[in-house]
Amino acid sequence: MEARKAFQDVLKQKRAKPLSRRALLRDSALGFGALGLQSLLAAEASTGNPLAPREPHFKPRAKRVIFLFMHGGPSSIDIFDYKPYLVKHHGEPLPIERPLAFADGKVGPLTKPQWDFKPGGQSGMMISDLFPHVRERADDLCLIRSMVGEGVDHGAALLQTFTGSSTFTRPSMGSWSVYGLGSENSNLPGFVTIKPTLSHGGSKNWASAFLPGSYQGTAIGHSGMKVDDIQKEPIEYLINKSLSTDQQRFELDMLQNINRRHADMNAQDPQLEARINAFELAFRMQIQAPEAFEVERESEATKKLYGLDDPTTADFGWQCVLARRLIARDVRFVQCTHSYKWDQHSDLVEKHTQNAAEVDKPIAALLADLKARGLMEDTLVIWAGEFGRTPVSESGNGRDHNPYGYSIWMAGAGVKPGMVYGATDEIGYHAAENRMHIHDFHATVLHILGLDHEKLTFPYAGREFRLTDVAGFVHHDILS
Amino acid sequence: MMRFAQVSCLLLFTAAATVAQNDNNSEFFEKSVRPLLVEKCQVCHGAQMATSGLDLSNGEGFMKGGSSGPLISHESPENSLLLNVVSYSGTLKMPPSGKLEDSQIAVLKEWVNRGGEWPGTQPVRAAALAAETFSKEQLEYWAFQPVADPAPPQVRTEAWVRNEVDRFILAKLEAENVSPAAKADKATLLRRAYFDLTGLPPTAAEGEAFLADGSLRAFEEVVDRLLASPRYGERWGRHWLDVARYADSTGNDEDHRYSYAWRYRDYVIDSFNNDLPYDQFVREQIAGDLMPAEDGSEVNRRGIIATGFLALGPKAIAQQDKTKMVYDVYDEQVDVTSKAFLGLTVACARCHDHKFDPILTRDYYSMINFFANTKSFTDSTTHVAKLLFVPLADKEEWQAYEREQGEIRRTKAELAAGPQIDVEGFVASQIDRIPAYLAGSAADAELQRRWTAFLADGKERPYLDAWRNAPADQQAAEAEKVAAAFGEAFGEWREKTRKYREASTKPLEEITMGAPAAPQIVAGEEPLLYDLYVAKDGPFSYMTEEAQAAVLQPETVARNAQLKAELAVLEAAAMPEPDRACAVVDKNPDETITQTVFIRGDYNSKGEPAPKTFPSILEGLNQEPVQTKGSGRLELAQWISSPDNQMTARVMVNRIWQGHFGDGLVRTPDNFGRMGERPTHPQLLDYLSKRFMEDGWSIKSVHRRIMLSAAYQMSSEASARQLESDPENRLISRFNRRRLEVEEIRDGLLAIGGALDETMGGSMQEGFGTDGENSNSRMSISPDEQTRRTVYLPLRRANLPALLNIFDFGDATTTQGRRAVTNVAPQALFMMNSEFVSRQARSLAEQVLGLNGDATRIQLAYLSVLNREPSSEDADFAQTYLTAARDRFKDFSDLDAWQSLCRILLASNEFIYVN
Repeated sequence: MEARKAFQDVLKQKRAKPLSRRALLRDSALGFGALGLQSLLAAEASTGNPLAPREPHFKPRAKRVIFLFMHGGPSSIDIFDYKPYLVKHHGEPLPIERPLAFADGKVGPLTKPQWDFKPGGQSGMMISDLFPHVRERADDLCLIRSMVGEGVDHGAALLQTFTGSSTFTRPSMGSWSVYGLGSENSNLPGFVTIKPTLSHGGSKNWASAFLPGSYQGTAIGHSGMKVDDIQKEPIEYLINKSLSTDQQRFELDMLQNINRRHADMNAQDPQLEARINAFELAFRMQIQAPEAFEVERESEATKKLYGLDDPTTADFGWQCVLARRLIARDVRFVQCTHSYKWDQHSDLVEKHTQNAAEVDKPIAALLADLKARGLMEDTLVIWAGEFGRTPVSESGNGRDHNPYGYSIWMAGAGVKPGMVYGATDEIGYHAAENRMHIHDFHATVLHILGLDHEKLTFPYAGREFRLTDVAGFVHHDILS
Repeated sequence: MMRFAQVSCLLLFTAAATVAQNDNNSEFFEKSVRPLLVEKCQVCHGAQMATSGLDLSNGEGFMKGGSSGPLISHESPENSLLLNVVSYSGTLKMPPSGKLEDSQIAVLKEWVNRGGEWPGTQPVRAAALAAETFSKEQLEYWAFQPVADPAPPQVRTEAWVRNEVDRFILAKLEAENVSPAAKADKATLLRRAYFDLTGLPPTAAEGEAFLADGSLRAFEEVVDRLLASPRYGERWGRHWLDVARYADSTGNDEDHRYSYAWRYRDYVIDSFNNDLPYDQFVREQIAGDLMPAEDGSEVNRRGIIATGFLALGPKAIAQQDKTKMVYDVYDEQVDVTSKAFLGLTVACARCHDHKFDPILTRDYYSMINFFANTKSFTDSTTHVAKLLFVPLADKEEWQAYEREQGEIRRTKAELAAGPQIDVEGFVASQIDRIPAYLAGSAADAELQRRWTAFLADGKERPYLDAWRNAPADQQAAEAEKVAAAFGEAFGEWREKTRKYREASTKPLEEITMGAPAAPQIVAGEEPLLYDLYVAKDGPFSYMTEEAQAAVLQPETVARNAQLKAELAVLEAAAMPEPDRACAVVDKNPDETITQTVFIRGDYNSKGEPAPKTFPSILEGLNQEPVQTKGSGRLELAQWISSPDNQMTARVMVNRIWQGHFGDGLVRTPDNFGRMGERPTHPQLLDYLSKRFMEDGWSIKSVHRRIMLSAAYQMSSEASARQLESDPENRLISRFNRRRLEVEEIRDGLLAIGGALDETMGGSMQEGFGTDGENSNSRMSISPDEQTRRTVYLPLRRANLPALLNIFDFGDATTTQGRRAVTNVAPQALFMMNSEFVSRQARSLAEQVLGLNGDATRIQLAYLSVLNREPSSEDADFAQTYLTAARDRFKDFSDLDAWQSLCRILLASNEFIYVN
């Protein structure tokens, strides 16, 4: 009967005053039976909350990552990999044996970059006219011109970029990061992917595979959705569409009371305690998480900076603002996807122009904004496609996939600004200098986060697995 | 089945056979081979540098080989790595400075053929064989010993024992001085049995009936009734589908649909429901297509469907290295077969001998051999490989179907042919006038308009540059050249289309190689032809029907009208496509393929031959290889399903035990190897395995044996002593409380809400191939919108529904004998906020409100959700809540308040945990 009395007391107390959100939070933290915050935290520790923050292996250079993914394969030699040789030898046959290609048919001739290159910033980094805004931020970039992957098709290349393996199901880089470091915001997921693609591996690119499900990326909509629709319910089941918060708290109190009594009758079962906690965390999450997604709260100046006022840049601009909002709330790993647009087997000039126009300004805005807010100090920004494109033409006016030597860049915490690292051969087909395999890229990113890629392991199917499998080495030269 | 006695004999023969090394060999080596190695190899592969770990300055280094493995294969000298690299035939080409002279290669070949011996060094054969043997620990490892038949031990507390299972458990408890938990109460036991066997809760009425039944056999009757329920196969079939990594799409890159995978799923459910003997279940899944149909019909429908087990794995079908692609598929098939049936991770030995278990790389490739002549693709060489779907019709029916389809194809080809001839004829007649069109002076006004627009559109047209840039007096000549170039290309094109028309419109009997592929004009390859004749704005482009109308002959128009009518008749009368299955067949049933070891997993580095043998640790080192032509899968299936196999029965019995107790007797159900756990009750495992086989591999008999034991019927309440001395319950001193799996949660909620659709089998998804990048059909069908059991929802590997991800379903890409259990906030959000839960709660509230009086209503709610009577305190509590809720929220209807209470019960720990 004691429990019943406790329950009625609470009912009385609640009847006495209307519940504000603040009061609700206090109630849930302090008010109810054994569900005080202290016990909640204690239980969290004893049941091993998989997302509790964990110590890195060594001092991290960055705490968080924003990965700007250009799905389809932007053409490095038209954007970041300056190849004057191609201008001079335009139209000549490919002087080397063509490596395994995606396209069938004949090998086209060498084809010059379709845009002019100009030096950007103090560093004078050569970047083409396709990305004028990003070029202005050249001094923030650590440009890597020697990336190497193995996937010649999109699916294999995406899976390798995100999970290290194109053939087996492996946890994604974001999952490994959260597994290694935990999350510092229990009201938001530790790993978020905004508008991800559903093709080319789909959710496997943000899945936790054999790591526990808590490390799975949380998808915010998917590539086909409109921003307005995503904002209605950014995370599945986050919003209750029929009860008021007050009604829901009232219901939850009864549930927790029943759960408490049940747990007391089944002494010392940590699973039951864990589930009681999960409900409290969920309640806090649904109250606090939506605010993180309210991009419309941003100032007009910010919206303009990211291009939210222009239909061309609005979508990716929204992704970039949201990424910044999530990072500012200590989400560990955020991915934005400019979905499957960059695959120009033909009509490269027309389509790349359109694609670049959609992302160039928002990306430059993100870099400027992160810097202005001091977030760049501990945030690593990565820009990459799943591969680059060939220096030879395909179907006359396009280019085929090229994973053998392509460009990506990083910026912010952990990397040297204004640096150009690595190089391809003179025709821009194969990485030739300081080759950075995708395994190396993973090892380096983990290193920047304070994790040793050889020590970050998980036992599965009879052995220890890691993001870099049995390969990968850290490229120390690019570290700040 | 072990043949180690013979193995040791083999090892004894060491150098004896090769001691008689004659001086000739030695002389040949010193005169011809050594100088060559010194000159061409030792700069990099010498004592100083030893690039890739290879040191050719001495015999030991040579024997050892480098990072790509031994240089010489004694089993298959012609495939030796040394000869492979110097002949420049693989990816690894040595020496890199340039290929050796033919005479030098001949010297090396001769040397290898003579045995490749380095004078003064121990023969490599003995070393290799010695390295292949297993340690004592490996040979004596528990799982590799034959299944024993231990006598059930004596126990002190005979009264506790209900069947022999209990003796094994109680004996251990007594030895450790721990008492077993008390018997679970009836309501708990009933709920446990229902969820265990059917994945659904008992209805309120079933609960009440059982509680009222005082007979001693009441529980046994429940067990028998549940085992006979079709719901049983849906629950236990799902367990097997986890093992079989079942899903409805390829997943890895293009995520194409396996449109007929559901037939395999239905086969699994039926097999459990019919208690298909497990050995047969094993054989059918590996080689059902090679087994005769039980009913004597020509097509073994069930057998073919069963091989879906091999066919529906994750595949990277757009992988462009097609050899690697097919070997990845074989690898996946070896992996699922060895994990599912043998509890071994054989696939770990793809690149090197298994690090932890005695599985040799050669064992792996011998297993691969059973799959390398097995077909999973209709065509593996296309850009995106085409999946194989096997017809479930007899030859005659399938041929009749193909004939009809061929006739339809032929008619369509004819329909296209007439206009094509007319258009081509017309364009050919215009070639001479091209200079006039270029000059803007042609007589045909419409065509001239098109030409003028074409020339003025500003696009780059390199083939016109010479004409455009020519000085006035050269223009006519350049225009003639353009006309000539087009004329030549067009002439070639007409020849191609003529041949194609001839082939595609031939009477069907004469088309032996299937329908020929239509010729194509590729923009980048033939820009002149493409721009003028194919491109939308090309002046000679007649690709649309409207455009063609202007140039068609009246006879063609009439003939096409007739053909269209014929086509309509053919299509209307065509028989429906015969059923097909996502299955495998033998590639070349009459051939034996040669499979070798791939050194470090690289198919370009062929090592020794790997004939079809079984893992050496289980079957011995000197097996007689399977000689059957074709894949040999039937022999593999027979070996695995043999009662002599050390692993098969144990692995399955353990899976069943785990399905009841939460933990298996071996707690790593897919890994019985060294990195897996040791059995907590090895004797019990063997005892049950023996009985399993004795009972004709009846799975249901194992269920009965387990469920009728006292051990199964223990309470899940742990005493302080139990928690202290056995926190992980390895002694099985109590029952394990377990959280419901996602299917049980969803199906259970539907059942309680009265909404569960019990329709069995069939597909909920149509169509083939992939879907557009932004298409919603890329998603799996949302479980929230459906009312059928979860096992029937199609699973798109690349996009599993959120609900499944949230509740630990796993990712359906690899054998998963055991799911993770987490308790995280997103699960709570589902219970609190989903429309789905809300609907079931409302529906239960409506049922409850159909009764009179709150006491009976509360009773029904408790019986429906928690399968027990409410205590007086429970009832009191519920009553208080209802009153308070209605009082506090004035807009709450009665139904709203009851819905709220019902949702609370559905979301409660007591619902989601089975005691």
